[in-house]
Amino acid sequence: MIRIAAVGDIHLGSGDQGLLRPAFQTLPECADLLLLAGDLTRHGTPEEARVVAREVQGLGVPVVAVLGNHDHHDDRPDEVTAILRDTGTQVLEGQGTVVTSGGARIGVAGTKGFGGGFVGRCAGEFGEPVMKEFVRYSRRCADSLRTSLERLGEEGCDARIALTHFSPVPDTLAGEPLEIYPFLGSYLLAEAIDTAGADLAVHGHAHAGTEHGMTSGGVRVRNVAQPVIGRAFHVYHLPVHDHATTGAAAPAAR
Amino acid sequence: MSTHGSQHPGGGEPAQNLDYRIAHLQERLASGELGELGVRVEARGQTVLLTGTVPSAPCRDEILRTVHEELAGVPVHSDLVVTETSSPDHAEELA
Repeated sequence: MIRIAAVGDIHLGSGDQGLLRPAFQTLPECADLLLLAGDLTRHGTPEEARVVAREVQGLGVPVVAVLGNHDHHDDRPDEVTAILRDTGTQVLEGQGTVVTSGGARIGVAGTKGFGGGFVGRCAGEFGEPVMKEFVRYSRRCADSLRTSLERLGEEGCDARIALTHFSPVPDTLAGEPLEIYPFLGSYLLAEAIDTAGADLAVHGHAHAGTEHGMTSGGVRVRNVAQPVIGRAFHVYHLPVHDHATTGAAAPAAR
Repeated sequence: MSTHGSQHPGGGEPAQNLDYRIAHLQERLASGELGELGVRVEARGQTVLLTGTVPSAPCRDEILRTVHEELAGVPVHSDLVVTETSSPDHAEELA
């Protein structure tokens, strides 16, 4: 069994040092790794990034993160990323990583992702340059997620997890105003997950959403935004398979 | 529709229009010191209701201070909740 702890949208500000540390220090007892699903800071400043870095440094379990839109607000995502990486957190954007725990190889593919909406109610790559770029950016994020998941599949991971900030499905947005769904996620992420295959998809961003959802390909989705889960993190127990079992690329679907 | 004197068509000075005051408040909450996009601000009759979950009690206090400043003269009801930061007491089995 693989034990995955996850939380997003912790939104730590400069005065929040120590807020989550006591709970995070219990992680070695209950989890094999910690996933951070973006919006780790309030404004994406280096000062706030250092607060986050200290909060998760030396926890005794690997920490894998993606950034969120808040972590981009100060226009210094590379600095935020570097500060987190310097203290041992793996920050993914269009990349994958393999964490080994108890003999199991856990693959995590991560991207912040972006909005655009869901099938039948989504933005199209049409019209003004800024509109086309909006959709193209979302598509690039999704393409990188698919490629990363496929690579992890080729590496023979025991489980594959898609980690994003924006949501791949509308299910986990239930509770948010319908009008803002296109700003909360994109079906392109779900299509990438279903095409490449995964055992679990984890995201944040939708504070008023709900925890549980599923892609149309049958991959479980969990919204781990801290206001949604109401804890410092949630833990998911995944059975160990020979390979990831869900999605178009899974052995059963070949 | 009829208009009288200096009154704007549609009624009321824009600065006193509650819809726009709420919109400006939300812009201020998002772009200001708090970077807060998770608070829902809704007009309920002649009052305003705040809902949502915020990271800390000081953050909630700062939001309330900003709201009262921006919506001076409007009764505000707050149902803001501070995020729970404890460890979970169980795990979900994804069998």
